[in-house]
Amino acid sequence: MTITFYYVVMAITWNLLGGYTGQFSLSHHTFALIGSYTSALLMIKTGIPLWLGMASSWIFNAFVSVLLGILCLRMRGIYLALTTWAFAEIVKTYIRMDFEFTGGDRGLKTALFFKTMNPLPYYYLFLVFAVLTIIVIVFIMRSRIGYYLRTIRNDEVAAQAMGVNTVRWKVFAFMVASFFASIAGTLYGHFTGLISPVTGDFYEMALIIIFVVIGGMRSQAGPVVGTLSVRFLAEVLKKWPELRMVILATAVILIMRFFNGGLMEFIRQGYQRIQKWKKGQPVSVYQKDG
Amino acid sequence: MNSEGHPLLNIKNLVKDFGGLRALNNVSLSIEGGEIRGLIGPNGSGKTTMINLITGNYKIDNGAIYYSGDRIDGLQPYVIASKGIMRTFQISRVFKDMTVLENMMVPALTQDQSMVEAKALAEELLEFALLTRLKNEPAKNLSGGQNMLLQIVRGFMNKSLRLYLLDEPFAGVHQVIKGVILRTIKKMNEEKGITFIVVSHELTTIQYLCHQISVLHRGEIISQGNMEEVANDPLVIDAYLGG
Amino acid sequence: MGVLYCLMSLGVTFIYGIMKVINWAVGEFFMIGAYVQYLLIVIFLGVRYWYVGVFIVALCTFFLGAFAQKILIKPMFVGMVEEKTEYATIVTIAMAILFRNLAIFMGGPYIYTPPDYAPPTHIGPLPLSGNNFIAFVGTIAILALFFYFLKRTWIGKAFQAVSQNRAGVLTAGIDVLKFDMIAFGIGTALAGAGGALLAPVLLVYPLCGVIPTVRGFEIIVIGGLGSIPGVFAAGLSIGIAESLGAAFINPSFVDIYGFGLLMFILLIKPYGLFGKPERSV
Repeated sequence: MTITFYYVVMAITWNLLGGYTGQFSLSHHTFALIGSYTSALLMIKTGIPLWLGMASSWIFNAFVSVLLGILCLRMRGIYLALTTWAFAEIVKTYIRMDFEFTGGDRGLKTALFFKTMNPLPYYYLFLVFAVLTIIVIVFIMRSRIGYYLRTIRNDEVAAQAMGVNTVRWKVFAFMVASFFASIAGTLYGHFTGLISPVTGDFYEMALIIIFVVIGGMRSQAGPVVGTLSVRFLAEVLKKWPELRMVILATAVILIMRFFNGGLMEFIRQGYQRIQKWKKGQPVSVYQKDG
Repeated sequence: MNSEGHPLLNIKNLVKDFGGLRALNNVSLSIEGGEIRGLIGPNGSGKTTMINLITGNYKIDNGAIYYSGDRIDGLQPYVIASKGIMRTFQISRVFKDMTVLENMMVPALTQDQSMVEAKALAEELLEFALLTRLKNEPAKNLSGGQNMLLQIVRGFMNKSLRLYLLDEPFAGVHQVIKGVILRTIKKMNEEKGITFIVVSHELTTIQYLCHQISVLHRGEIISQGNMEEVANDPLVIDAYLGG
Repeated sequence: MGVLYCLMSLGVTFIYGIMKVINWAVGEFFMIGAYVQYLLIVIFLGVRYWYVGVFIVALCTFFLGAFAQKILIKPMFVGMVEEKTEYATIVTIAMAILFRNLAIFMGGPYIYTPPDYAPPTHIGPLPLSGNNFIAFVGTIAILALFFYFLKRTWIGKAFQAVSQNRAGVLTAGIDVLKFDMIAFGIGTALAGAGGALLAPVLLVYPLCGVIPTVRGFEIIVIGGLGSIPGVFAAGLSIGIAESLGAAFINPSFVDIYGFGLLMFILLIKPYGLFGKPERSV
């Protein structure tokens, strides 16, 4: 369950960047990876205390994300995906290659956040963090910044013509999303006690996308609902790990093909139908033509 | 004229090349505050290019653009918008996944108005434009003409608006909506002194609406004056018929 | 070795050139190709006819790819979907995950070793793996075939036209949607053939498409999306960069040099060596 909270954070922050602002980044998981390694390595090599290691890691990540954001400014969808993908692979490959420094594929032992072996404090820590993240992200999405981000996704040229500083807000989205991802990563690292380049695998990114798409990409609550439902389903189908991935992947494809809004859209339409049925109106939920 | 005696928009010797093609060749134009200026010319004469240069979407190759005495060429489009220059696009660029109301609110929000103020102003303008019943519709559900109307009315949400560039606002638009657009332009011009540049092919509408008309042909201004002068100018006749 | 991954890059770049869509599942078609080839050799053909296997694999993956395109990607172009690149990316990524897990589910997480296509030989005093040699030659052969097809045949020229101007070719009477489907099929067939050729080299297991995908995309980012000469320039440059880096800096960091080159190129030429930016206003 603790891990689920980690994914909730990753999902909702990626949605801010990808679903809301339209910046389809494929390196979100990389910031969690960088976060955990920076913090762990700083502590191991320089002996600084936990909180300082973590905080420094977050600042470093914010810096890197801004650089990446600026690099990607002029890129449209496909190039952005490709560049962020390349970034993700570079970082992961570096960590694997420089095994003297990073431990490579064998992984790196990290200091634990809490001294106790009891998983409960971690559960609450992650829960609080997830809730905090949700509050911040939803707050941003509902504010004027949320408007700006949506205009960027819809039509950047028109957004500029309306006075939106698209450069600033794109970088902002990058930075905020990656910042929270790095916090998630450091917390994760100091929870499991062992980090490895596997967190930077493309597979992790695909998981995040699956969570968000199934929950509903354009909605605020979608990623949360998606992560929770998918993790639940994954738990139920624990005995057949590959089959559940096949099911999930198929679900994603079906949703993209037929039911774009994911679970949230399903819920919303269901709710509308119930409302109309209560009022005795015809039950079609399709929009009226203008 | 504004208080310092400058024309509102002063374009001097503007040149724009696209590779080997010269789209605008030494174009000079000046527009006084409060005018409604028509910009006409055969297809490909450079009208949209000129608008894009003014708004900062293209970079100029030579010349200068002055707005209220200040140079604005080279500035980013969003900066130019915040200075009070808004524009519409030939093919309506509305934010399709946002509702009509949300679309309206954007230019006000970027000019630092509060969400509450923006919403109130938006509802007021939508009322004037007879779009109120669509206010919660996603913009993608609107018809072409409604989209154009939304685009145009949206620009008025910018409280610093002084110069409005309309690129083919009447193209393919239903008569009724066209009437609303005309009414809106006239009202904003008379009551708030907003200056307009209207690019259009519909000469009767231009004649009705505009005080002065500039004619662009192959990247050069070949004539300027009121409709009668321009329509009888042999250069203009030649341009439209000869090509 | 870089040459072998060119098939993957070609597959992706070709599809992109025609449809402006990146097929993130290309590695999985490679993997499917490898599996099918393995089955063909072990059950039906016997290793002597490995080249027949490659041919059959290419056909199979072609049809599989075309079919996938038809049900999944085509709707994108028929106006039913709004955010096109996003849709294509998500769907192809989902396809990749689906195929990978399907492979594990059906075949088990085992590594299958196909028999050698050719015995190890020598070139002068240097030992040479027969499989590598075959793979190399086979790739060159397929590449040559592909180029002949593209440059000399009528259909190939039509494809060139589509990649240059999608709207324009409609007026020339070309059914763009059908070409899309065929192009996708060709792209996946290239990957599948690559998988078949490299089966004895890289071995056959569910994730065997991952490394070729990474290498393939590396080549594309450096060479520029949609550019075929870019693929070769990039493949060559990566090879050189890796050799230089291994020789002068540190041989154990071999994978990084390609990426280092990639970062460098991205900084000075964000669209790759031969890539072209898309238009906006």
